[in-house]
Amino acid sequence: MEPPNLYPVKLYVYDLSKGLARRLSPIMLGKQLEGIWHTSIVVHKDEFYFGVGGISSCPPGGTLLGPPDSVVDVGSTEVTEELFQEYLSSLRESLFRRESYNVFENNCNTFTNEVVQFLTGRKIPSYITDLPSEILSTPFGQALRTFLDPRIQPPEGSPVGPPNGQS
Amino acid sequence: AAAQGPASAPAEPKIIKVTVKTPKEKEEFAVPENSSVQQFKEAISKRFKSQTDQLVLIFAGKILKDQDTLIQHGIHDGLTVHLVIKSQNRPQGQSTQPSNAAGTNTTSASTPRSNSTSISTNSNPFGLGSLGGLAGLSSLGLSSTNFSELQNQMQQQLLSSPEMMIQIMENPFVQSMLSNPDLMRQLIMANPQMQQLIQRNPEISHLLNNPDIMRQTLEIARNPAMMQEMMRNQDLALSNLESIPGGYNALRRMYTDIQEPMLNAAQEQFGGNPFASVGSNSTSGEGTQPSRTENRDPLPNPWAPPQATQSSATTSTTTSSGSGSGSSSSSATGNTVAAANYVASIFSTPGMQSLLQQITENPQLIQNMLSAPYMRSMMQSLSQNPDLAAQMMLNSPVFTANPQLQEQMRPQLPAFLQQMQNPDTLSAMSNPRAMQALMQIQQGLQTLATEAPGLIPSFTPGVGVGVLGTAIGPVGPVTPIGPIGPIVPFTPIGPIGPIGPTGPAGPGSTGSGGPPGPTVSSSTPSETTSPTSESGPNQQFIQQMVQALAGASPPQLPNPEVRFQQ
Repeated sequence: MEPPNLYPVKLYVYDLSKGLARRLSPIMLGKQLEGIWHTSIVVHKDEFYFGVGGISSCPPGGTLLGPPDSVVDVGSTEVTEELFQEYLSSLRESLFRRESYNVFENNCNTFTNEVVQFLTGRKIPSYITDLPSEILSTPFGQALRTFLDPRIQPPEGSPVGPPNGQS
Repeated sequence: AAAQGPASAPAEPKIIKVTVKTPKEKEEFAVPENSSVQQFKEAISKRFKSQTDQLVLIFAGKILKDQDTLIQHGIHDGLTVHLVIKSQNRPQGQSTQPSNAAGTNTTSASTPRSNSTSISTNSNPFGLGSLGGLAGLSSLGLSSTNFSELQNQMQQQLLSSPEMMIQIMENPFVQSMLSNPDLMRQLIMANPQMQQLIQRNPEISHLLNNPDIMRQTLEIARNPAMMQEMMRNQDLALSNLESIPGGYNALRRMYTDIQEPMLNAAQEQFGGNPFASVGSNSTSGEGTQPSRTENRDPLPNPWAPPQATQSSATTSTTTSSGSGSGSSSSSATGNTVAAANYVASIFSTPGMQSLLQQITENPQLIQNMLSAPYMRSMMQSLSQNPDLAAQMMLNSPVFTANPQLQEQMRPQLPAFLQQMQNPDTLSAMSNPRAMQALMQIQQGLQTLATEAPGLIPSFTPGVGVGVLGTAIGPVGPVTPIGPIGPIVPFTPIGPIGPIGPTGPAGPGSTGSGGPPGPTVSSSTPSETTSPTSESGPNQQFIQQMVQALAGASPPQLPNPEVRFQQ
């Protein structure tokens, strides 16, 4: 029997702050962060990511963020495209529904981590998955949380609504 | 537990604990170290209740084949293996449409159901193969006593089936409705939630009031392919938007401020508006494709209650290309005409007859219909727009051949509408016995018409809403025929309306559809709406109308009725 195909799996890493985090984090947070990381998975010539609208896909580098700031090779997978799509649909119904997006606890990087483990058995670099806890361990991060986390009621008169659009 | 007991193999196989993780859950399995993948799958299939050939195991990026062993892949104690359970038939919900199509398995046009009605419901009213008949809806799994819920389901089903959509879109009536921006705007504005929404977001009103945009939108709405294209682009744009950190918030705000209320407005009555989900981000939208985003706006309420105008009757069974004969004269007078035509043409189809039969046989259904909130508003708006109603009625093919009838009708219309508003009427409408009686009357009239054509003055080629006919005909003491009469034509339109022309115009068919009228007449004369104070000509007129609606070819209504009443 012919050997199964191996499909390369890449992790696209974007710094959402475009370098600002590296410069400002010591001041704002009191600790050094290299970036605000957003990741997506590229496999089968498509880029997959999890956002407020749920799991989405686009051509690699096709989001508004442009090309990734770095690309990490996480290995290869035998999982076919069809199987992968089925897997994604199951995820869409379970852990990664569009309303389950939570910027701290169930975000794009959570998704990427899950998927990479599924595809290759590896995890994504820890500096990415540690980011939420790093931020939340600072007072500023806690304050930020009231704005960004929909489960926490923002104080009266807060200008920014919860990103999830819930409630 | 799927733990496999230690095999009786000579070597003592160590039992290892392997976690099996699916996208939805994870379970731990204790299996012998030297199991084969096949054996492992068998254990898994028991716990996950699937067939082994549906299971796909993945470890370290490799797909485990049945003849491999766990050791071969390095699966040791404490490790996690991923599992995907292949489903045979994926529900349609995979697409981005939020439709809850999963619930209604009878997606897409399929399996017409034949019900117990005499007229085969295969000639279902609107040419849709899937929804054989009103009563058949419950067998379709749409069983819900609540009509609005039913309609929601229908709508979802409809919208999840491109075939249906195409049918509906191709319906000339729908198209003509769609091409009238005023109509569209009225429809949309009529929805109270829309109104609220508009108050909060004045940009929307700009959108709606801008005829160019409306026209453009309607153009697009008419062209399903274009629409899909737009939606796809819209989705793409939106999803790209989401990946921008700031964009999230903007998008979310847009969504919550605009789209959600719209969606809720639609959902409240019609359950699920796939268009709204595309993002009714009006002018405040991202600038990516402003023209497109704006165009979305009117679409969000394809099922908006008729409220004003257009009531294109169509029963809950998604009317679509059902308008056989109708649209002839429609173009002349515009959409209201088209609506009336459509309504009339609906009646003339045998499917409608069967529909009405089903209605009478299933009074619960009618009750449900009537209890739908939008019904009331439909009636109200009709009564507030006597002109509209007049136009609709008058332009129905029923009347085109008979101008005198038109003249007769004209003054009657306000009275009709008043009667429709009458709560007695409504209660009569929801009275199953009344409806049945009406049906009987209708049938009686038809029989009479065929048996003794000379009795009934020729009317117009009837569009038969059987029910309607019966409404008029109550034999005996039913004097109230008068007021009931006019109502009759409306009744069928009412509840049946909503799904009607689908399209953005939404249901709102006044006059057409409607359960066998509020004409309590026969069974409960006392309850009937306002005792007839009608004069002779009024009654006669009504009778004629009913006859026409009844579809009896030689109407000749007045005489026997007069006779009856006397």
